[in-house]
Amino acid sequence: MSRKLHVLIAASVLALAVSASAAQAQTTVTFWHSFNNKSGEALEEIIGKYEAANPEVDVQAEYVGNYNDIVARLQAAIPANRAPDAVILEVTRYGLFADGGVLADLTPYFDADPLKDELYDYARQIGVIGDKNYIVPFNSSTPVLYYNKDIFARAGIEGEPDLSTFEQIADAAQTVSDALASEGITGIAAPGQFARWGLVMANGSDLIDATTGEILLDDPKTIEAYEWMASLVHDRQLASADGVTEEDNGRDAFLAGKVGIMMNSTGNYVGARDALGEDLGVLPMPCNDGCAVPIGGAGIGILANSPQEAQDAAYDFVSYAASAEANAIWFAATGYLPINRNSAEQPVAAEALASQPGIDVAINSLPNAHGRARTPVVTWMRTNEYDMWQAMALGQRPVEETLIQFAEETRAEEARTSN
Amino acid sequence: MLMPKLTPYLLAAPLIAFIAVFTYLPIISSVDLSFRSWNFMSPEKPFVGFDNYARLFASDDFWHSLSVTAVFAAISVPLRLALALAIASYLKREIFSSRILRGALFLPTITSTVSIAVVFSWVFSTDYGLANAALTGLGLGKVPWLQDPQIALLVLILINTWKQLGYDVIIYIAGLQAVPQELYDAASMDGGRRWQVFRRVTVPLIMPTTYFLLVISVIEAFQVFTIINVMTRGGPAGATDMLVHLLYRTGFVLFDIGTGSALAVILFVLLIGLALVKSRVLGAKVHYEA
Repeated sequence: MSRKLHVLIAASVLALAVSASAAQAQTTVTFWHSFNNKSGEALEEIIGKYEAANPEVDVQAEYVGNYNDIVARLQAAIPANRAPDAVILEVTRYGLFADGGVLADLTPYFDADPLKDELYDYARQIGVIGDKNYIVPFNSSTPVLYYNKDIFARAGIEGEPDLSTFEQIADAAQTVSDALASEGITGIAAPGQFARWGLVMANGSDLIDATTGEILLDDPKTIEAYEWMASLVHDRQLASADGVTEEDNGRDAFLAGKVGIMMNSTGNYVGARDALGEDLGVLPMPCNDGCAVPIGGAGIGILANSPQEAQDAAYDFVSYAASAEANAIWFAATGYLPINRNSAEQPVAAEALASQPGIDVAINSLPNAHGRARTPVVTWMRTNEYDMWQAMALGQRPVEETLIQFAEETRAEEARTSN
Repeated sequence: MLMPKLTPYLLAAPLIAFIAVFTYLPIISSVDLSFRSWNFMSPEKPFVGFDNYARLFASDDFWHSLSVTAVFAAISVPLRLALALAIASYLKREIFSSRILRGALFLPTITSTVSIAVVFSWVFSTDYGLANAALTGLGLGKVPWLQDPQIALLVLILINTWKQLGYDVIIYIAGLQAVPQELYDAASMDGGRRWQVFRRVTVPLIMPTTYFLLVISVIEAFQVFTIINVMTRGGPAGATDMLVHLLYRTGFVLFDIGTGSALAVILFVLLIGLALVKSRVLGAKVHYEA
């Protein structure tokens, strides 16, 4: 009895010691992200699969809010030494953190990773500034044009509409508005900032040149695109002003079946499909003066101040999150673009492509997709662009005058911050 | 012998330490940062002298925000005090209905500002909101509540007034109840009319309460942030971009901590200055005893 008790105690102590050492051996990776609801569930699934295959790593994921919230919280956390090990950062706004030495240079990891050859070119380029790699892409997107088939049919527009020029879009929105305004339905949602950038590119220009960094806010083609966008709200009254002061209002109204057309990220595909079902139509963005769409979304960066062990584990997780297996789960659950060339071969992605019409529109736009500028001044420009857009769209200031002044201010800010 | 002398200091020490760490040190740190260039990330914070202040004073955004804040305070503070005094005059009696109404009025004060702002965002949505649904139901046109610069500021003032009114009313009721009844009786016997009694007896005797509420409401008006950040984010086109929102945008969105801190220091000095002016102008008229 006594011997058995001793054996039992010894075994318990041994088991405790083994489990304690195993727990000590586990590396924790804290990870801040911006995905909730369906995309949050998909991310949890990816993390679960990674942890099952890598029990020595514990990924502690935390939903922090949208991209802006993450940036605000990250900058407060950095001086307090409470930053995470890995963080989702929007593709045009990580430059500031890279420039400030906050993000680890992932080039040595990335160069040694077979993942590098699996990623699409566009996805690989997203994380590069100069010759260094700072983020690994995770959720990539382009804007697409969503329309409500039922609203179009009730307005008398039969079949798949041709919405490849600005005027065709405005005409369709006008038709919807004329026919269904009495039901509280508007023709088009005021474009959000991502769509505005896309419409400028669809008109043969850009806000800031991604290659040279030249500020193109006052380029005649940019002005022309903004004049058209502003006219949708102010002159033609085809878009609700509610979507100008709060951009999510336009999306929400479209999902509620109160708007005919919405231009928004392909990351909204699954949400729109859930809301509208078979009534959801998806088309590429217009090609008003050439075809070009911006790449949006975010990638995962690793904090340079994290312990080396956590950085290694974080990169291992980040690499898995961009793998074909994980990316296929993500693509099928959200509608974000595949970033891995092998994702489409995965059964879950193949099924999504076969069963969810329109989910491939953004993929087909990839030949026209371009990365956007990510120099430090982009954050300043994007923050202030909202005010400029509101002034133009609500008819408070002329478009040309506003953009010329805004371009000058952006150049001055760039000069100030680069000194 | 020493302990009795030290006891008060020992008892007060925790609170003094708390205030020092969470109030005075941040103030000193803000003043220091206002003379530096920093973006939260760089380990270095180079001294730039008065550059941040100079840039603010040369910036249209700063003067615009200051004027929006001044307009907000100029409308909001008198409106709050006048409404609160009028309502408190009716609710000062200790009867059942008064107690219920006081509770109802106080409810917005203790309700989350974010929740209030979200609900009112829905109410004042131009195309999908309750306010315009009611107007169109009455055959009237839609009002661009949050898209017209002037109307948007008025909407924010009204919501802020509604939220803070309950607190002002409760304080005024306490002040009114402290006025001795015999003074009203004497005034009545002297033939004073209601308005005269109110002007000559009530108003002077509740001056300390009014002065306190004035100081509090002016400070509060200059610090409004949550309602703006949730409902308009300073828009449309900067029309409601008040000082604290500009401070947040400068420091926490644009990463310019030096300029944001300079703005905080200016706001601090401004509020101290206003308090001194109020003290000089009104302080002499405040009587603390009947």
